[in-house]
Amino acid sequence: MKADSIHRYLLGTASLLLAAGVWLPCVHLFSRKSPDSFRCKESIAPKARELAARHLELWTDPALRRQELEKMRASNAEWDFMGRSFLVWSLANMGLREPASKQAYVRVMDQIIDETIKLEQEHGIYFFLMPYAKARSYDVQPARSLFLDGEIALMLAARRTLEEKPGYKTLLTQRVNLMVERLKHGTLPIAESYPDECWTFDHAVALAAIKLADRLDGTDHEALPRDWISMAKQKLLHRESGLLVSSFTLRGDPLDGPEGSTIWMAAHCLQLIDEDFARDQYQRARKELGRTVCGFSYAREWPKSWNGPMDIDSGPIVPVLQISAGASGMAFTGACAFGDDAFLSSLAATLDFSAFPSRRDGRLKYCASNQVGDAALLYAAVLGPLWETVKRESKR
Amino acid sequence: MNLSFFRRFGRAKFLTPKDFLLRAAVITAFFLIAHLAGLREYTSFLSGTVASPDMGWQQAAFFGLVYLILYFAFVLLVPILLLAALVQGAIKSLLDRR
Repeated sequence: MKADSIHRYLLGTASLLLAAGVWLPCVHLFSRKSPDSFRCKESIAPKARELAARHLELWTDPALRRQELEKMRASNAEWDFMGRSFLVWSLANMGLREPASKQAYVRVMDQIIDETIKLEQEHGIYFFLMPYAKARSYDVQPARSLFLDGEIALMLAARRTLEEKPGYKTLLTQRVNLMVERLKHGTLPIAESYPDECWTFDHAVALAAIKLADRLDGTDHEALPRDWISMAKQKLLHRESGLLVSSFTLRGDPLDGPEGSTIWMAAHCLQLIDEDFARDQYQRARKELGRTVCGFSYAREWPKSWNGPMDIDSGPIVPVLQISAGASGMAFTGACAFGDDAFLSSLAATLDFSAFPSRRDGRLKYCASNQVGDAALLYAAVLGPLWETVKRESKR
Repeated sequence: MNLSFFRRFGRAKFLTPKDFLLRAAVITAFFLIAHLAGLREYTSFLSGTVASPDMGWQQAAFFGLVYLILYFAFVLLVPILLLAALVQGAIKSLLDRR
């Protein structure tokens, strides 16, 4: 090889390395914005408003909605259901933040709640569950899923918190009674979401719904959340990380380790039950699952001490870095709920950089996401006021 | 600009500023084509969702993956190639002056 070529190769390689060394640490600066662009303390952040506009459009255009829901149901019927839940919870928070728009939000919330309950009544619980729910029968009969009962109860409670609707009072009381009955059925305060498969996410949501119902209707289920926390501390903490496991049996035996797609939302819901325990779970999740590389943050689905399988909740996992789309999306809820602005800011940079935002006429969607993913992001951007109604009451 | 310009440019020596610029231009062109063809929508495979229910999962994921690779090449590699061309050009001119 000629000396000229060697010289060229060396110089070329050195230039590339130097350029990479300069560029790569700077990339995040182009996507990084103040956390206020995603979430405002008092009002509604511009991005949240754009996300909400897209969802409101889906619920006013039946053809568009059908198209979106078909896409999600082709992968997972749960997403159809959770997309509804996250949107109703988001609209409740938006209405509390912006009372002038309350009536517009309430109309869509009622439409979603009524249609969801109707679908559940017409097709049964399996309509919103994954097919394996039918593989065996539920241990506790008649079959009920805490996943559905908890989220529907929280939808009803959120709607009634924003504005009372007498027709929903009975529906909420029925749901809460069903959940309480199931949670008190055995020796442990545990209820099934799938046959002998119980989820921390679903229990946390159900307990938050019961707490909101207590505030709305003056009922008292104080002992139940306390018993659940006590049981969880005894049976559901992963020894190595101290994080709550994601799923377990009716006897409280873990089926899985901790998961990013569960823990962030669970910690947020547990803020209504045991603030200190919830914060401890968030901080552990942040340490075990939160990662920042070159200014971009993301979340892993599992801590280093647990090796779980890639599944529908985690989404595809990026090898080496272990980036999980599901866990990273839900990490927004954790960061917003616990006021972690540094983490939120770098998560938002990752979102803008790699989730492919698409804007049209003031509406925003993320192409790499789907309706449920975008609804979960919207919820993270506006959460707060709904929980505050309970916290204020507790302080009195 | 005529075809001879591209031919001359296409014959750039490996790891030279011209070579870097050519590669950056090719990546940019491919990315623009993918972007204008609407492949961005297919990145929904990252959330386990098929962009179009009429299309098979594998085909949708393939389009999404193509867009993903071209996008990251465009936002990560193109600036590096441009900077490298600039750095090498500057070093060369310094060396030539000596």
